[in-house]
Amino acid sequence: MQEVLNVEGSNIIFLYYQDIESLCGANMVSVKVLLFAIFREKYGIKETELEFDGTLNGFLKALGEKISPKLVEDIYDQESKHIKSNLIVMVNGRNVKDIKGELKFNNGDTVAIFPPVAGG
Amino acid sequence: MPGGYVGKIGIIDLTDGSIRIEETCEVLGKKYLGGKGYALALLYEYAKELEEKGKALSDLDPLGPDNAIVFATGPATGVPGFPSPGRYHVMALRSPLTGSIGSANSGGEWGPFLKFAGFDMLFIKGAADSPVYISVVDGCIEICDASDYWGKNVFDTDDLLKKEVCGKNVSVACIGPAGENLVPMANIVNDKHRAAGRTGLGAVMGSKFLKAIVVSGSGSVPVANMEKFREASREALEKERKNSVTAEGLPTYGTAILVNVINNAGMLPFKNWQFGYNPEADKISGETLAKNYLIKRRPCWGCNIACGRVTSVKTGPYQILLTEGPEYESIWALGNSTGVMDMEAVIKANHLCDEFGLDPISTGSTIAAAMELRQRGLIKDEYLHGIDLSFGNAATLVESVWRIAHKDGFGKYMALGSKRLCEIFGAPELSMSVKGLEMPAYDPRGAKGIGLNYATSNRGGCHVTGYTISPEILGLPTKIDPLTIEGKAQWVKAFQDFTCVVNSAVNCLFTTFALGAADYANLLSAVTGWTFTEDEIMRIGERIYNLERLIMSKFGFTDKDDTLPPRLTSEPMPEGPVKGQVVELEQMKKEYYRLRGWVNGIPTPEKLKELEIEL
Repeated sequence: MQEVLNVEGSNIIFLYYQDIESLCGANMVSVKVLLFAIFREKYGIKETELEFDGTLNGFLKALGEKISPKLVEDIYDQESKHIKSNLIVMVNGRNVKDIKGELKFNNGDTVAIFPPVAGG
Repeated sequence: MPGGYVGKIGIIDLTDGSIRIEETCEVLGKKYLGGKGYALALLYEYAKELEEKGKALSDLDPLGPDNAIVFATGPATGVPGFPSPGRYHVMALRSPLTGSIGSANSGGEWGPFLKFAGFDMLFIKGAADSPVYISVVDGCIEICDASDYWGKNVFDTDDLLKKEVCGKNVSVACIGPAGENLVPMANIVNDKHRAAGRTGLGAVMGSKFLKAIVVSGSGSVPVANMEKFREASREALEKERKNSVTAEGLPTYGTAILVNVINNAGMLPFKNWQFGYNPEADKISGETLAKNYLIKRRPCWGCNIACGRVTSVKTGPYQILLTEGPEYESIWALGNSTGVMDMEAVIKANHLCDEFGLDPISTGSTIAAAMELRQRGLIKDEYLHGIDLSFGNAATLVESVWRIAHKDGFGKYMALGSKRLCEIFGAPELSMSVKGLEMPAYDPRGAKGIGLNYATSNRGGCHVTGYTISPEILGLPTKIDPLTIEGKAQWVKAFQDFTCVVNSAVNCLFTTFALGAADYANLLSAVTGWTFTEDEIMRIGERIYNLERLIMSKFGFTDKDDTLPPRLTSEPMPEGPVKGQVVELEQMKKEYYRLRGWVNGIPTPEKLKELEIEL
């Protein structure tokens, strides 16, 4: 970064943007996270935004840092490496259990997290 | 009789005032359990008697004296230790709303208390010529004058009759003004806030001048094999305690928690099903109810789950110091479907439905249909007498409930239910109903299985006939993809059959989030002393569903009635998470009929023989 600042102006601008990309990652995404029911009560948050690299690991890391590591424990099963099976977690209204293949997040996604609930 | 039954059925003819007491039949108990199944068997025999007298069933007037209504418990009802045993089932030969079988289920205390009063069931036919109520106290049935109670609302009727029939374990099931006024959406309310809500059974009572049935007694329900039952009960209750839904979800938030779940799945019908996602739905969610209005939980008799809510609106124009609910379905129909995002108005409207004896699902849905008719310019000003029928108008919602119950002003039209209302105003397609019964709070464009269930549900647009939302959205007992149609016919059939078992056992459907057919086989074997296997349990359910379908066919129902409003099959969801989806109904129906062994939507003679249904 120091070297970059010593070259001519146009290069400085070019390398500045390159640096931002490498810091944030080309695939950095911003998603909206909604908490419901007991999660809303427990963590005192209804809605927040997270920025991460679009992977499940990135999501969990950002969630832990922004809200609480305990929330990650609440929703993620470390043994099976999956979202806990009794929860309802939706990405854009689609339950993660119905999403085929590796779970990835896109910019602008909405993630809704519910505890086990039912009704009639 | 074996365990689980108190052994008597009251046969009451309100026309001549005769009362006959029959023994509960062991053969029918084994084949149909009790509740819905046994009631259907009684109604089928009764229907055959009518035909033998030369009366065509297709001409049967649901509000005439020939219609019959059965209040039925089952071998689970009132048995301490049986999971959630505080319910009863009501069946009528014909519903005034749909023209099909009338069927509804309720909790509270009335069901167990009927058994403590000495009866498994009450079969009521004929019609009185002045208001009456039926008193069932410690083995004695009387028909009593109800002139002083006619015209009173549900709450006053309940209070007054409890004072008049003062005994042990008193409970009142009654109708309000809506039932008296023969509104086809009228329900039967017991314990003030629990209702046999659907298919207009309150109007059937009203047509018979039957204001109420009061039960009281100090009896109990025998259990055939107590040692085996204790073991089966312990196992079942342990499963409920370990199940996150029955142990935490339902007790903590009640059913209203589903508002946000279903909205986020993009299938919470909004403004008469024009949309499936409402950005403001959180204003009327279970979380909002719990945070601002909940006082405490209230269980039905003997229930560990305790999903019932006691609530209060402390101030403002919709102040109510003490009420119950609203449940998920009521919040949706009265709030989301009408676009009213004022939780206090929704609580008030729900309270008025209880007070006047109206089904909140059909009531809210009919108001929403009227609002869409108005939105499209199909209801002219002269019909409205100044009512603003705009979506989202809270005052109109509350006022409309009163007007419907009393058939006042434009309420005369809305009191007909959405199907007839939309026909009168020239847009039958805007009635979001199946067989005339307004559909509940899940848009099947977001869960295809529930669409097949709505279409093939014997009583009409109903979710609890076969609640495939459980696997499709909630992931119980396992998660299936809501947007595919493959395999849905099998799920729907299994859920419909098993639900018949629960409604005939009779206990609460919510137990099935934790318990399956094998658990029911164990529990019912221990209670009755008969031996049921898991397969036999499911076969009983299938038998009941087929018998119900057979009776409906005599009213003229065929596969042509197993349909959905065109909005769901041909209008893609306009926005939200399931944008672009429709229900591919015909493909699923074909597979469903094949699995059922039905031709043209009717059980074949071979199928009926296989299920030992005697013609």
